[in-house]
Amino acid sequence: MKNRRFLLVGSDFEPFCMALYGQGGIHIPKICADGGVRFAHPVEGELPDLSLIRTILPLKKYLFPPKDKVLSYSQDNGYQPVEYNSGKLLIFGVHPCDLAAISYLDKIFLNGEPDAFYLPRRKSLALIGVSCMPDKYCSCGDIASPMPADCDIFLYKIETGYMVSCESDEGSAILSPLSPFLHETDILPPESTRDNFSLNSVEKFPDDLSGVSSELQEMARSCLGCGACSICCPTCYCFDLLELPSLNGERAERFRIWDNCLYQSHAEVAGGYNFRKARTERFDYRYRHKYLGFGQLQGIMSCVGCGRCIANCPAGLDLRPLACKALKESSHAATSP
Amino acid sequence: MKRERVAIAGLTGCSGCQLTLLDCEDELPLLLKNADFDYFPMASSGIALKGEYDAALVEGCLSTQEGLKLLRNLREKSRLLVAFGACAVSGGVTAIRNDVPREELSRIVYGGDAVPGGGFEPAPLASAVKVDFDITGCPPEKADILEFFAGLSAGVLPIPARTFVCADCRARENICLLAEKGELCLGVLTRGGCNARCPSMNVPCEGCRGVAEETNFAEAMAIFSANGFSADRISEKGGRFFREFLHEKKEYQKTDPD
Repeated sequence: MKNRRFLLVGSDFEPFCMALYGQGGIHIPKICADGGVRFAHPVEGELPDLSLIRTILPLKKYLFPPKDKVLSYSQDNGYQPVEYNSGKLLIFGVHPCDLAAISYLDKIFLNGEPDAFYLPRRKSLALIGVSCMPDKYCSCGDIASPMPADCDIFLYKIETGYMVSCESDEGSAILSPLSPFLHETDILPPESTRDNFSLNSVEKFPDDLSGVSSELQEMARSCLGCGACSICCPTCYCFDLLELPSLNGERAERFRIWDNCLYQSHAEVAGGYNFRKARTERFDYRYRHKYLGFGQLQGIMSCVGCGRCIANCPAGLDLRPLACKALKESSHAATSP
Repeated sequence: MKRERVAIAGLTGCSGCQLTLLDCEDELPLLLKNADFDYFPMASSGIALKGEYDAALVEGCLSTQEGLKLLRNLREKSRLLVAFGACAVSGGVTAIRNDVPREELSRIVYGGDAVPGGGFEPAPLASAVKVDFDITGCPPEKADILEFFAGLSAGVLPIPARTFVCADCRARENICLLAEKGELCLGVLTRGGCNARCPSMNVPCEGCRGVAEETNFAEAMAIFSANGFSADRISEKGGRFFREFLHEKKEYQKTDPD
């Protein structure tokens, strides 16, 4: 069924979902009892709410948990890696921005020597994407990573239901038993937010932020430094390693924990020297990572435009105007004599 | 492995921090394997201060001459002196009425002109002696206490959490009590490491772990006030655990129109 498209009529959506749930572990986007929107296990008969715009945490929670045990030490056996045997998990209802973010994380964690803790978790995930309508916090149309919104199956919302696109062998395996609900079609998929990815090029964004230094300072003044933006960002992957000894000193555990570029400690090195002591420097750094990319991925924008950083900022900060103004300033500078 | 000599003492406080240590039931046998609790009046009476200690954990604030004497004694005898819990670290709950003169407090509590003698304004341990390490929180997290003892055996001090309660809270995928529920939650100012214990139970952060490594009080105050909280309400809540707020309160009292 790979590379083929099917129509799923609206009235078949519920039996389609129930048959899908029957295949094993599944998480869907849902409004939980406290009002929070999260990817979580459906309760009996609960359908995914594909109209929800964004979950609090992106899919990195499955791939790169906030605190992850990576090594255990004992006097007898020395350091031993922790092994993961994750069961298969299907995530149903992933938006193109979150899919693009996973493509980005794959580049970080799987290129070259694959990360031993990311790889098994990534392999265990099957992804069913779905098209969506951006809201006021989204920037997928204007400013977003060029990473592809890859997945195993993608659902395009159409008037009569969904157009289901099968995009991998795994997608085929998932869809095969569901064929009674699927009617093959030659019609091309409708335009969707999915097409907004792979459009932007990072060359447009200026390397020098001196043209927007007052905006940068204003943002730094309003920033609480709490780091919620980075926690909720689907492409923030900075981490720290922490080793905790046991009470009897005979064992220890080493953890990989999320680090945060908004914190002063992020760029602190031995001797107390700090590369980014001022908050403006940290915003500059964040801008560079999100819009210019850095390290091995220099030149690849990492912001996928999901809007979580804005939606989750207690101070309501928004990096987009800074990026837009910087964009404008640089094109102005390029054209003026 | 060398056995550590440890003293656990309580000054003016509720003893909740010492209780939290005693409450680490699963770990107590392991703790006792490597440390001798040679002075711990709350757990075992009739043991006098004697000899030197590798570490002394002192709970509660400083508010009496007796407390001061004990604290100085412990300081002299101990390699590491640890402020154990919010009151020892910052004055905490015991210091929330430090903005009211002692005579007036005494009248409110005891009535008439009776003024019990001997006490003074509650103060953190560091106001009188050198403190080597803070175990923050009201009460501290069990994990923080155990991490201190594990470090003591290994010859290191734990690294204090660098996160905010706010970040811990989002990492647990909680909804924001401040932004989404309009509650006075101090997570945006408070040092993390508690895994957002209170906000995860739908209770706004009280700030018991003290302020984070680097905070933006001005912006936090602006957000609280934009959410409709009066300066009095903010400083009353903030003043429970942030000494920074007690100063702020005096500033606010000058400018508050009411």
